[in-house]
Amino acid sequence: MEQTIVKLHNVTKKIGKRTIIDRLTLDLPLGEVFGFLGPNGSGKTTTIRMMVGLMSLTDGEITIGGHSITKEYEKAIRHVGAIVENPEMYKYLSGYDNLIHYARMIPGITEHRVHEVVKLVGLEGRIRDKVKTYSLGMRQRLGVAQAILHKPQLLILDEPTNGLDPAGIRELRDYLRMLSKDEGIAVFVSSHLLSEMELMCDRVAIIQNGKLIDVRTIKGKDAVTDSSRVVIEVDQQKSAMEVLRAAGFVGEHVGTEAVAVEADKESTAAINASLVAAGIKVYGIRAQVKTLEDQFLEVTGGERIG
Amino acid sequence: MGNFMPLIQNENMKIYRRPRTWVMTGILVLLVLTISILWLIFGERSSTSMWDVAFMESSILFLLVTIFTVVIAAGGVAEEFTSGTIKLLLIRPWSRSKILLSKYLSIIIFALMLAVVLFASTLLINWICFGINANPEVKATFVGLEGVNPFSYMLKYYGLTLISLVVTVTLAFMLSTIFRSSGLAIGFALFLLLGVNSFIGLIALLGYKWVDYLLFVHLNLTQYLDGNPMREGMTLGYSLGVLGVYYVLFIALTWYVFNKRDVAS
Repeated sequence: MEQTIVKLHNVTKKIGKRTIIDRLTLDLPLGEVFGFLGPNGSGKTTTIRMMVGLMSLTDGEITIGGHSITKEYEKAIRHVGAIVENPEMYKYLSGYDNLIHYARMIPGITEHRVHEVVKLVGLEGRIRDKVKTYSLGMRQRLGVAQAILHKPQLLILDEPTNGLDPAGIRELRDYLRMLSKDEGIAVFVSSHLLSEMELMCDRVAIIQNGKLIDVRTIKGKDAVTDSSRVVIEVDQQKSAMEVLRAAGFVGEHVGTEAVAVEADKESTAAINASLVAAGIKVYGIRAQVKTLEDQFLEVTGGERIG
Repeated sequence: MGNFMPLIQNENMKIYRRPRTWVMTGILVLLVLTISILWLIFGERSSTSMWDVAFMESSILFLLVTIFTVVIAAGGVAEEFTSGTIKLLLIRPWSRSKILLSKYLSIIIFALMLAVVLFASTLLINWICFGINANPEVKATFVGLEGVNPFSYMLKYYGLTLISLVVTVTLAFMLSTIFRSSGLAIGFALFLLLGVNSFIGLIALLGYKWVDYLLFVHLNLTQYLDGNPMREGMTLGYSLGVLGVYYVLFIALTWYVFNKRDVAS
């Protein structure tokens, strides 16, 4: 059902004796925002460079839309839009001329489309100015503009939220979701900003030291587990623990004025009722959802470069 | 895939939208004007042929054309790397070879344009300064042999220097691609051009056989115009052959390196 646009198969990159990317295998479906998460130096940018043909592969294969990136480069890259690292533009040209420059390289992009894209990224007011007068955020917007100019089926963005203000990040997020859901394109976003990825992506691949460690679904039903850790603030920790034990739960001390327990929605309410019945004051109940950050640190064991 | 012209258009835009290109062209025309006016002030108009002034200016200022073109050629690929724009340039449905070709052609076009500007401005300015109502008795003296048409002599001169210019530009373009640093490419190319060229006359005196194969012995083709080549027995055909071999070598190396290279900044 899901249509795969990109296939990475056993992708390996060696520079000298160092293995930068080690047998990476990954499929990206259309219509999803796919996150690519890893600490600094884990090989995110190298992988992206290989996907867009800027770097050669030592071993393995990458196909985009069924075309091999090494053997049929021009066909494979035709439906890809990308920003690799920072969106570097020709500073001595205006934003508009930069877009015209890229528009000329792909047949069928009309001037109307260029204006449409400019409007979409909100640069109408400054598009005729030279790029050297732009702020980082404006350059980032221009970078997005050149990447979506030819309505690609795969959009690759390397650290796209760099330099954007909160409003800009939100806008970008909404726009990427719109692109993936409404236009059905695949969006591949790399970042080390975990909280950002959590909000933006449907799925996240975690990479460390050039190895794929895990692929996790962020949104959708498999992400929500029925039971989660619930922290209950109480006035008498000891009695609360006894009540929990009597009700058949394994409690856990949190600080001096709270207990934690694994419970689903219904049992949380039941626990609350029995605590109140036992004369214990309940100040607060909160479910502790594991953030992606926790998962990430859990999986990668903190950041280690090398 | 598709039409190649837009790529050339892009590269031209990157050359001609920069002020430095016009500053260079302006300097060239201004120098022609200055020399002619100074000649007019300090020399004698009635006894000067416009052709002599035009030829003298051409031979001096063509060096400037070469330097300016080397600067542009050396920047061509290197600046895309230093600014990081190479990444966005290469991820388009064009092979690297074609992108490089568009760059190379636009630089060759620039070299031709600058040479034409020099040729036209020396002729026009000197016609205005010395040519109008000139004494028909005054003959051009630079042509050497009596009765040679100065215009066709100058065309030949430009033709031969343009061949050298193309080889020099290709060398600078190659250095730019290999070093990915415009400063290094400009410096190296100009060092070879100015430094080596100034003592090549000495090297040419050496009796060794390998001197015959040195690029710089052949780079100045105008040595054949007046029939006194740098080394005995050298002919124009031989020099063109050696230059041709170097040219193919430069082009092959440039394209090979550009196609093979991993783009990482």
